[in-house]
Amino acid sequence: MRKKIFRSILVTSLAALLISLLAATGALYQYFVRIQEHQLHRELKLTARAVEDSGLVYLESLDADNLRVRITWINADGAVIYDTEAVAGEMENHADREEVRKALKYGEGSSSRRSATLTETTIYHAVKLNDGTVLRVAVSHATIIALIGGIIPMFVLAAIIVAVLAWLIAKRMTRNIVAPLDHVDLERPLENDTYEELSPFLMRIHRLHEQSENQLAQLRQKADEFNHITANMKESLVLLDEKGVILSINPAATMLFSTSQNAVGLDFLSVDRSHEISNAIHAAKSQGHAVTRVERNGRIYQFDISRIESGNEIIGLVILAFDISEQEYAERTRREFSANVSHELKTPLTSIIASAELIKNNLVKPEDMPRFVGHIHQEASRLLSLIEDIIRLSQLDEGQNIPRETVDLGALATEAVDQLRDTADQSNVQINLSVEECLLQGVPRLIHEIVYNLVGNAIKYNVDGGKVDVSVAKTRTGGILTVSDTGIGIPFEHQSRVFERFYRVDKSHSKQSGGTGLGLSIVKHAAVYSGASIALRSIPGKGTTIAVTFSAKP
Amino acid sequence: MMRSRFDEQLALLNREIIEMGALCEEVISLASTALSEGDIELAAQVTPLDRIIDQKERDIETLCIRLLLQQQPVARDLRQISAALKMVTDMERIGDQADDIAEIIMSLNGRTAEEHSHINEMATATMKMVTDSVDAYVKRDISLAQAVIAYDDVVDECFVCVKKNLIKMIAANPDDGEYALALLMIAKYFERIGDHATNIAEWVVYSVTGIHKEIKI
Repeated sequence: MRKKIFRSILVTSLAALLISLLAATGALYQYFVRIQEHQLHRELKLTARAVEDSGLVYLESLDADNLRVRITWINADGAVIYDTEAVAGEMENHADREEVRKALKYGEGSSSRRSATLTETTIYHAVKLNDGTVLRVAVSHATIIALIGGIIPMFVLAAIIVAVLAWLIAKRMTRNIVAPLDHVDLERPLENDTYEELSPFLMRIHRLHEQSENQLAQLRQKADEFNHITANMKESLVLLDEKGVILSINPAATMLFSTSQNAVGLDFLSVDRSHEISNAIHAAKSQGHAVTRVERNGRIYQFDISRIESGNEIIGLVILAFDISEQEYAERTRREFSANVSHELKTPLTSIIASAELIKNNLVKPEDMPRFVGHIHQEASRLLSLIEDIIRLSQLDEGQNIPRETVDLGALATEAVDQLRDTADQSNVQINLSVEECLLQGVPRLIHEIVYNLVGNAIKYNVDGGKVDVSVAKTRTGGILTVSDTGIGIPFEHQSRVFERFYRVDKSHSKQSGGTGLGLSIVKHAAVYSGASIALRSIPGKGTTIAVTFSAKP
Repeated sequence: MMRSRFDEQLALLNREIIEMGALCEEVISLASTALSEGDIELAAQVTPLDRIIDQKERDIETLCIRLLLQQQPVARDLRQISAALKMVTDMERIGDQADDIAEIIMSLNGRTAEEHSHINEMATATMKMVTDSVDAYVKRDISLAQAVIAYDDVVDECFVCVKKNLIKMIAANPDDGEYALALLMIAKYFERIGDHATNIAEWVVYSVTGIHKEIKI
């Protein structure tokens, strides 16, 4: 910038200098030439008068060396009579000279001629005297070119001075222009105190500033949203770039891979190098998507890995991991349940078919016939009750919305116990019932199921001459159904599992008691459905107490 | 521009070494599970993995040599590359020895080393050493690397125990000598794997500090 300013100052000043010099020189030259001509004219007139009076004598009396002009006296035929600077006899005929010719013709004439070197111009003035001769005066002066030639050294000196000055001024100006720019506060461009030429520039910076600030705020907000969402999600989320460097990792993933907080920027391999996940990542890179199940920290995780593409280029990978331990457990339970169901259904059928085949092939003696038919009947009933239980359970599983109504827990308990009195008498078990009215919201069928199964179990797993106490007590929030027996009890190691489907404490015992292994499971589901909680306390050999706590408004 | 390409290649080298380390962990875990459960099928999975490890060693060596020639690294970069060159050799030996163990297991026809708890202990200990040495590399963790180096004594002690037990066993039951020798070989291989893990840990220390076995090189 300084160079530019320097150059323009220099060019301008030099041009001004040159033009003014030329103009001044031209004007002065014209003026001097005019004065000179005028003087020459006067001198000629004076000299002519003197020559007419005294003739050659006057001319010869002149001091030729001090004379500023050259005087020539020419005869009418052009021959030179006298000259102040040369010997007259040696000079050529002057009749053809322009000024002489004009003087002879009009009485007066003038002309100017340049010397061979162009540096001098000579002006001639001639006049015809009364005797017919011609008197001529001449004077030389430098031409304008010579004059200019003389000025050049001065001009060069002036130019040098101008250049130095221009450089100094340029330096100073640049400093003055730049200084405010250096101190401009770009954060708050409008608050700067600078010269007005800068304000459009500052205005533009201000606008850009606002724009970028807005964009930044938007970006930050988006990033915050993303971080907030990923920070609070239970699933682990990791974003990788195409080289496998972590771009983003959420807290759940940090926990899952038990890595440090700032894993961003690390290679994913340094966070987890297990073979299954590396293989899945490779598969996802080549096929676009891969799923794998991996055990981590005692839980099972499903890893969904997907490729992110932009155009035809892979720009990264998303790894999403979620805990599927419960799902796995549920799947396993379901598998076990189906296996159990098929087994439980098959056993009575095999027995029925075997008996039926014996009868069909006439291998049963007539007197044994009632025993065999009785056996078939017994097994078929067992099968039926099993199927009924399974249907009930699956209804509960389905979670169909069974309408609730106001029921009296005490009445329901009495009804169920009454149904079981015969069975209790057969097993020689005494039932003691103590109930009070206890109204709650529930499904009568399910509550009946709970009481019936619990009391049924209490009878079934009792000892000869044992006792069953059934009580319903009202509480502030609902009611408690307690069924306690003096039976065989449940061993401690089985107590947590008796509510599982088909779970039996004693596998060999099952047939004898005729249970299906689903009773307590139904109780549990019915209780869950009714919003009740079950507490079990049992001492092997002493007896079992099961308390079901209902709340009035589930 | 040059530097960023160099950084990229260093990152690739790092990745390759971690992958190779993970493969070593995998083979040794397969071998030790196969040993404790007498699972011949598991043992058979070792050989193909060992081939991959061999291939990885060649790949990493090529990469290291290319880096040395083309980039002429200095200081820490040079240490990382030269340590990598040394480590892959040890890792490759771990792969080979796991493969040897697998072969012996297959020749045992499903007989396990269950009655020799020391051998299983050794297997667990060496597995820990290999995992920790790779971890030390991944995290550039000197204290973990030094723990691995110290842990080698545990494995060596285990080996002495196994040897004594096997001598007793041969004395008590001379007919089972072949089985005892097979177990001794397995124990020896585990002991060697421990040594290789120690070497890896030492090179990890070197690549971070520039000091190998207390000598500045």
